[in-house]
Amino acid sequence: MTDERDGVLRLGNRSFAAGEFALMAIINRTPDSFFDRGATYATDAAYAAIDQAVADGADLVDIGGVKAGYGEPVSEDEELRRTVDFVAGIRARHPSLVISVDTYRSGVARRVAEAGADLLNDTWAGADPDLVYAAAEAGTGLVCSHVGGLSPRTDPHRMAFDDVVADVIRTTTALADRAVEAGVRPDGILIDPTHDFGKNTLQSLELTRRLDELAATGWPVLVAVSNKDFIGETLELPPGQRGNGTLAALSVSAWLGARVFRVHDVPAARQALDFIAVLRGSAQPAGTRRSLA
Amino acid sequence: MPVVAAAVCPHPPLLVPEVASGAAPELDDLRTACLAAIDALSTASTIVVVGSAPAVPYGLVRFPAAAGGSFAAYGAPGVRIGGGDPVLPLSLAIGGWLLEQSKAARLPRTYVAVPATTSPDDCVRLGREIAAGNDRVGLLVMGDGSARRSEHSPVHLHPRAEIFDTTVATALQHSDLDVLKALDPDLGTELQAAGRGPWQALAGALEGATLTPDLTYNAAPYGVGYLVASFT
Repeated sequence: MTDERDGVLRLGNRSFAAGEFALMAIINRTPDSFFDRGATYATDAAYAAIDQAVADGADLVDIGGVKAGYGEPVSEDEELRRTVDFVAGIRARHPSLVISVDTYRSGVARRVAEAGADLLNDTWAGADPDLVYAAAEAGTGLVCSHVGGLSPRTDPHRMAFDDVVADVIRTTTALADRAVEAGVRPDGILIDPTHDFGKNTLQSLELTRRLDELAATGWPVLVAVSNKDFIGETLELPPGQRGNGTLAALSVSAWLGARVFRVHDVPAARQALDFIAVLRGSAQPAGTRRSLA
Repeated sequence: MPVVAAAVCPHPPLLVPEVASGAAPELDDLRTACLAAIDALSTASTIVVVGSAPAVPYGLVRFPAAAGGSFAAYGAPGVRIGGGDPVLPLSLAIGGWLLEQSKAARLPRTYVAVPATTSPDDCVRLGREIAAGNDRVGLLVMGDGSARRSEHSPVHLHPRAEIFDTTVATALQHSDLDVLKALDPDLGTELQAAGRGPWQALAGALEGATLTPDLTYNAAPYGVGYLVASFT
């Protein structure tokens, strides 16, 4: 990464200093998300979910128009239909909310950026090589992900890594460097180890355990652990019962230096992050009266 | 001497309990079937393990008995076989790991990696070469069925996956070598059936042998086809 950076992450009209945690609420515009099964597919429900997320302390919302895993094909037109007007509507309602769009298509990226998106969450790790130019031209931020060389919307079959953390660092920092060369703002670039994608549970656990090594690259780290299978397999719990495990993984990630957290349960994550910010010394307790009067 | 006994086993990392952790008991029956088939190789004087490998970086290459294999790349750094750097591809590492728990553990051993791109003719030729020496060979063939058997498979459902695996299972059960030799390599690749090449090597190795086949396991509990067969 470049030397002139001050460690501040700038997205939209928000700035997040080093040590400050940013919370990203997941808003799916898909009928078949693994977790909420399409609860926010309808536009009114999605707007209401965003209003609630903001009230609960979300700094960013991440809008997805295509289910990450294998599913019904979604054409670019359909993805545009699900996202562009919606992004414009969010922008009108919440002028300072950071809007992230989860897409791997450069055509969608350009249109949602025009509509007001501040961050392009390229979960499929540069599968469309033009997406980085969309971010550069529009001045948005960019998430650089690690999926172990998979194609979009496929699942892993026995992914093997000599050192999964080293592979993640090598891949995501190379994508970040390429993004800078392509003209993306360095202070808008995040790296995401992308737990579960192209990784087995043991590998995702290893990534969580050694998240400090990713943070040490200097790039702000986004973690998206919320309700994922590696938590479910670790605790033998189905998607609806992984909230506590999610908070544990999120808390360890925060302690080890992650800066942006993509979650389903905003109030729970906000509390955990506010607490860890105090533990880390980057924030003060709300009030300390016990045994001090 | 020809091949005096042969065993066919799958090679999911899940067979190794340290990889599967709490899920290990789910594959107890598969592990037991594999070990029973491999125990039957102990009448041989030497073991040859044939298994699929990614075309890159592997060629059609042989490894000595002491070759290293590790499961660190799958999350279990504490489990390894042999010595030195872990050079064995997954299929052969699982084969060696199974062998070491079997009654054939002390026999001399050679590993042969069969790249996924190896043609059926070359696979059959490899099998004939293995059977052509003077040794009493116990042949361990490591091969998976399709990884596209179900909606929840690692790679999504392919409508021909089950028929492909059933064809192989029936051929193993009846030692129908012509069917094994005729498996289409392109279809095998599309279905992500890693066993295609090794099974064709088996077909070459069993030509002229008069062994009795027995298919002892045929299931896809996680959407990947697992077949165990014994030829004695």
